[in-house]
Amino acid sequence: MNSISDRACIVGIGHTEYSKDSGRSELKLACEAISAAMRDAGLGPGDVDGIAKYTMDNNDPIEIARCLGLPSLRFFGEVAYGGGGGPVGTVMLAAMAVATGQAKAVIAFRAMNERSGRGTPRFGQAMVADTAAGPMSYLAPYGLFSPAQMVALAARRHMHLYGTESRHFGAIAVACRHHANLNPDAMMHGRPMTIDDHQSSRMISDPLRLLDCCLETDGGAAVIVTTPERARDLRQKPVFMAAGGLGGGGWNNRFMVRDIDALDNEATVAGRRLFADAGISHDDIDVLFLYDHFTPMVLMQLEEYGFCARGEAKDFIGDGSRFLWPHGDLPLNTSGGNLSEGYLHGMQNIIEAVRQLRGTARTQVQDARYAFVTAGNAVPTSAMILRGEA
Amino acid sequence: MSTFPKPVPDYGSEPFWAGCNEGVLRFQRCAACQKLRWHPAPICTYCQAEDCAWETIPGTGRIHTWTVITHPVHPGAVGKVPYVVVEIALDAQSDLRMISRLVECAPDEVTMAAPVEVVFEAHPDGQQLPLFRLRR
Repeated sequence: MNSISDRACIVGIGHTEYSKDSGRSELKLACEAISAAMRDAGLGPGDVDGIAKYTMDNNDPIEIARCLGLPSLRFFGEVAYGGGGGPVGTVMLAAMAVATGQAKAVIAFRAMNERSGRGTPRFGQAMVADTAAGPMSYLAPYGLFSPAQMVALAARRHMHLYGTESRHFGAIAVACRHHANLNPDAMMHGRPMTIDDHQSSRMISDPLRLLDCCLETDGGAAVIVTTPERARDLRQKPVFMAAGGLGGGGWNNRFMVRDIDALDNEATVAGRRLFADAGISHDDIDVLFLYDHFTPMVLMQLEEYGFCARGEAKDFIGDGSRFLWPHGDLPLNTSGGNLSEGYLHGMQNIIEAVRQLRGTARTQVQDARYAFVTAGNAVPTSAMILRGEA
Repeated sequence: MSTFPKPVPDYGSEPFWAGCNEGVLRFQRCAACQKLRWHPAPICTYCQAEDCAWETIPGTGRIHTWTVITHPVHPGAVGKVPYVVVEIALDAQSDLRMISRLVECAPDEVTMAAPVEVVFEAHPDGQQLPLFRLRR
C-alpha cells in the first residue's frame, strides 16, 4: 500500500451561513460548523480525536476541543500557504492521520470573519505594512501587494503565450454564478451574471476584472474524516478519498507571482499521481471542483491537472456551457464556488463535492461517482479525487 | 501622502540594496557554476555551492509580463493609479527575471518583450529602488 487511496472517507459535513458580517466570533463559527459536521456524521465528542487546520485560521485547536468537549486530541496539524493552500491539504492531513491509525476521526475546518474584518484581515485589501522584508521586499516596494495583482501578471502571460482571452475567464465566473443562483445559501443567489456583465465589470489589475475575483466572506465550514471501517457504522454514505496529493516547489517563492513558462508547477506536482492512484482517467470525472480564487487560475488548473493540454484551456472551455448544470458534461463548482457561493477558502467546495457523491446536492449530477477537487494554485497546493459508493 | 512599503535589507540582500543606492544592479554570481541568481539566496540555486561574488550586471532587459493596476488596494497607491507593475527578463541571463515598476510610460504603451532599462528612484525613506523605463 503506497498511497492514501481508499484509506480514508469523509463522513460528515457542516457549515454556517455565508455572510458579509456574521455578528459572532470566529471561534463560534468554527464550533457551529464542526458541531454540524459531527451531527451529520453521527459522531459524538468521544469519537473525534484530531483537528487539521489552515495555518492562517485564527482558531486554536485546543480551544475548539475545549468548547466542543473533545476529551482527547491525538492528532493536530496545519497546512500553510494562506487560504488557497489549505482546503484539500487539511483533508489530506486528516486522512493520513486516520489511515495510519494515529487518530480515529479528524476534523478539517475553516472559519473566519474575513469580509467584516472582525478577526481576519480582508484579503482584497493589501497588506498595509510600512516595510517589506524577505521575498516581499522584492515585490511590495514596486506597488505589487494583493493576490489579484500577482495573478494578473500570470494571466497576461498566459494570454500572450496561448491566445487566451478575457471571455474565457468570464465563462468560469458565469458558470459559478449560474450555480449560485440555484443555491439559496449562496451569497450571490438572486444576482444573475452574463458574460457581458463580466466583460463590463471594472478593471482591478488589468487583465483581471472585478468579476474575475472571488468573494470575501464571514462563515465556517468543516468536514470529518475517518477510516472506511469506521465509516460503515455511521449515519451517512461515506465518500472515499480515491487519491490525494500535495504540491509545491522552488518556483513558489514569490508569493502568488507564477512562472507560467515553466512546465512544472505546484499543481502538476500535486496532480502527478492522482489519476494513477485512483485507477481512473479524466473522462471518469463527473463533477469538477476547481479552487476559484481568480478565474485565470481555474483555467490554468484545467491544463495543469491534464484535463486538456497546455495552452488549450480556451478551447476546452469554449463558451463555458459545458460547466453548467444540468446539461453540461463537466459541471463546475456546482454550489457557486469561492466566486459566487462564499469564500470559505475552498472548504465549501469540498462540502458540495461530498453532497454530489452522496446524491444530495441541489444541483445533483446524475449518477455522480467521481469528483475532482483542488486547493488554490499559485501557492503550494493540493488536490484529490473523491469517490462515492456505487 | 502614504508610500509603498520600504524594503528592509537583510543578511542576504544588503549588497543588492547597497548597489541600488550606488545606481547599479548588483546580483550574486556563483563562484562554482557562474550562474547569476535572483532572489538573493545563501547557497547557489543551481549547484548548491556556497561561494559567490556580487557583481554589477547590465540594467537592461525585456518585458516578460505586466499588469496595469487601477484599483488602489494599498494606501500608498492612492493617487498613483493607474501604474504598471512589470516582470523583467534581464538580458544578463536568460532565466533571470525580476519584478519592478515601469515608469515614464502610459499604460497603453506597454507591449510584450519591449526592451527596457533600469532607472533608479528614491523611496521617500532614502533607499533607491530599481525601476524600469522603455528603451526608446
